[in-house]
Amino acid sequence: MALEQELQHFEKIKAELLKNHAGKFALIKGNEFVGAFDTPDNAFKEGVNRFGKEIFLIKRISQEEEVYRNQALFLGLLNAHI
Amino acid sequence: MPIFDFYFWTQETGPTLATSGPIIQVEVSMPSALEEFCTKKSVPIPPPQTGFALIDTGASNSAIDESILQQLSILPIDSIPSSTPSGAGRSFVYPTKVSFPALNVKDYGLSRVIGCNLKWKTADNKEIIMLLGRDLLRYMVLIYNGTNSSITIGF
Repeated sequence: MALEQELQHFEKIKAELLKNHAGKFALIKGNEFVGAFDTPDNAFKEGVNRFGKEIFLIKRISQEEEVYRNQALFLGLLNAHI
Repeated sequence: MPIFDFYFWTQETGPTLATSGPIIQVEVSMPSALEEFCTKKSVPIPPPQTGFALIDTGASNSAIDESILQQLSILPIDSIPSSTPSGAGRSFVYPTKVSFPALNVKDYGLSRVIGCNLKWKTADNKEIIMLLGRDLLRYMVLIYNGTNSSITIGF
């Protein structure tokens, strides 16, 4: 799966990130934590500067993982599949 | 704040707002940082993809059809949990840039949209490629006038 290695690394270092960078956005490539940024935009710019069109992870550093909620999807009112 | 009125009506079927839902034209393109990178490296930039966005007050985030994002050569930047009628799963998150010509909004950066299998056509043949969620609606005024088959948007 795309980003699998990066997501695993995020989980591995999450406690330390929470201690030092809570609320920011982590930029991770492979097993390398590149840095924490105030906005996802800034993290993305840095990711493109360093890695070009390669894949990299930008994850919000928070205890609870961000969740996508769509009530219409829950109710089956829209013809969309995630 | 500029105000825009949209009437949903066809000669064949009459009012269409109830069947199509509140939709506005959208153009999806590569995020600016990626465009700049491609320009520097002389890599061709895929042309913007056009279709319609369904305004969806039930969605926490905006979502775009994954085939559109693939055509734009945009890779995912995150994977987050999501729930659907078919069960719990994970969805990829992508950075994009959108324009809403009818609202005079050009090149609006969306740093985190959800990728999903979304494409479908309304009864009057308009292709939906995006759900416009509350991450964008928080900056808008929206009036849904069902009796008049119209919507009003302030943005």
